[in-house]
Amino acid sequence: MSEAHGFSLNCVQLQDYQPNRYPFLMIDYVEEVIPGKSAKGYKNLTANEWYFPVHFPGAPNMPGALQLEALAQMLTVAITTLPGLKGKVTHALQHRVRFRKEVFPGDKLIIETRVLSWSRGICKGAGSACVNSDVVCEADMLITIPEILEQYLPKRPRR
Amino acid sequence: MENKMKYVQAFVTSFSVNESSVEGLEYNSIPAWDSLGHMGLIAELEEAFSIQMEMDDIIDFSSFKKGFEILSKYGVKF
Repeated sequence: MSEAHGFSLNCVQLQDYQPNRYPFLMIDYVEEVIPGKSAKGYKNLTANEWYFPVHFPGAPNMPGALQLEALAQMLTVAITTLPGLKGKVTHALQHRVRFRKEVFPGDKLIIETRVLSWSRGICKGAGSACVNSDVVCEADMLITIPEILEQYLPKRPRR
Repeated sequence: MENKMKYVQAFVTSFSVNESSVEGLEYNSIPAWDSLGHMGLIAELEEAFSIQMEMDDIIDFSSFKKGFEILSKYGVKF
């Protein structure tokens, strides 16, 4: 694996860098991650996804919140593959998302994310997801590794 | 712009507050000065004064008043 040129992670390997697990792991494969810069990959949606029977009965489609979660999980991999960050837990701080099309059982959700900045435990990033070359959602995201961020916060007001 | 004004402006920009209300601000004293707001303020100050703050100083930067003392370590004169 060459970090300078990026590398791929299969569904087992990516779990070393992404702490979410079933039923909340929203990415299947990382085709190329360049640590600190970008990550792209996909999620294959089968009719067996846990949310399709309830969202909605008779008209299944992927919840927008989970599309956004898929983007955030892919962005996370772009950060947690940096040296020393493997397996760290990330939290969302602020996202702005635009949904453009519904995502259905059988679709392949192709996800691309890029890191705009990474400093002191905060990552600013952007991403989009496509199905059949059509953008279905896109987002600006702010995620953090709390363990790092908290090291920089005042413990209590000092005068 | 004089340094005091730049300093005040960093708070105004980071926390969307009025200039008149910055004097008494402390970390977590308003919703905007939370963990994310803190890092935004530090970034704003670093850009305004062309400095790179040390980790200990970022932690110590717990109030508007305390900030004068910390920035003076980086050669910022008020």
